[in-house]
Amino acid sequence: MNRDLILILGVALMAILAGCEPDAADEKPSPPTVASAPSVPSPTPRMYPVTAATRETYQFYCAQCHGTKGHGNGINAPYLTVPPRDHTKADYLETRTDEHLFTAIQQGGLAVGRAPCMPSWQHTLDENTMHSLVSYIRELCQCEAL
Amino acid sequence: METPKKIFLIGLFFLTAGGWCIGAEASPALVQEKQCDTCHRFSKNDAIKSAPDLFFSGDKFQKEWLENFLKRPGTIRLAGPTRDPGFLKGKPQYTGPHPALNSKEARQITDHLMSLKTLKDLAPLELPELSKGARVRVKILFERDYSCIACHQSYNLARQPRGGISGPSLIDAGRRLRTEWVYQWLKNPKQFVPQGRMPLYAFDEETLRKMTQYIMSHKKEPENK
Repeated sequence: MNRDLILILGVALMAILAGCEPDAADEKPSPPTVASAPSVPSPTPRMYPVTAATRETYQFYCAQCHGTKGHGNGINAPYLTVPPRDHTKADYLETRTDEHLFTAIQQGGLAVGRAPCMPSWQHTLDENTMHSLVSYIRELCQCEAL
Repeated sequence: METPKKIFLIGLFFLTAGGWCIGAEASPALVQEKQCDTCHRFSKNDAIKSAPDLFFSGDKFQKEWLENFLKRPGTIRLAGPTRDPGFLKGKPQYTGPHPALNSKEARQITDHLMSLKTLKDLAPLELPELSKGARVRVKILFERDYSCIACHQSYNLARQPRGGISGPSLIDAGRRLRTEWVYQWLKNPKQFVPQGRMPLYAFDEETLRKMTQYIMSHKKEPENK
């Protein structure tokens, strides 16, 4: 008898509680949490800032293959077996560290397991310039290493 | 010596010297007449111009090729001159064709250009041709290790032109360029062009020679074949 009463009361209580809950359609979206927000480039100042000389260097040497705006469409691009990297696309570049990009510039594509079309610039550019080119690539892709 | 003989020899000397001077002067005048100096620099002290510098032509070119080129010019820089304002956009302001000269003019200007040198007393560099196997190994250096293919056209194993166009085509380098110049250029291009778009390399002597041999092995088939 008591057991039946408790069962009835429990079912009634659940029905009341269920009826109080708002419909899913009426639910207001909760603000996105920090964890689910898209990645935003870090505004922290870089140790090797992009200067006018960095941009000139990019135009003089890199733009032959990577294009004047970094889209990977330089004048050599149609003739290469592997297309030059598009420096404006974050999806790949955010998976690479700054060290990786620096090594690619310094020692060439082969040194980082990428296309051998990218030559080594270690005897042409000084280290600071190569670091600043990494910063410029980060500026072009508007991304940082994840 | 008898007086008439003396007069004859003195006269002969002045005639010969005069003739030589006229010949030597003709080419620079022709260079101006043909306006070669509008696009090319004939002295490193001249202001930068868009077309390739010619003040080291005698170091760089093979005479026969140069004379033929001036008579029947072709395209060596497929993307245009590297200093052309439209070069990086793939839309050079200069689109050619390079003016063609008649045989006499071509010979005169060639003689003048071959006298323009910056390397003094350069010992001839005799490099044997690469064996087939060695050529394949150096090809790997050229394309894979040093990435030259990104900017220069060269022959692939099927002897088809392949490669980037921002640098001069190397397809006929073996007839166009002097071995000594290619060697010196690869060693230190800054001795000719203080700032070029090509990366600098620190080749060891053996690699330097092999790369020179490889580049010089690029020769077009003669047109009449």
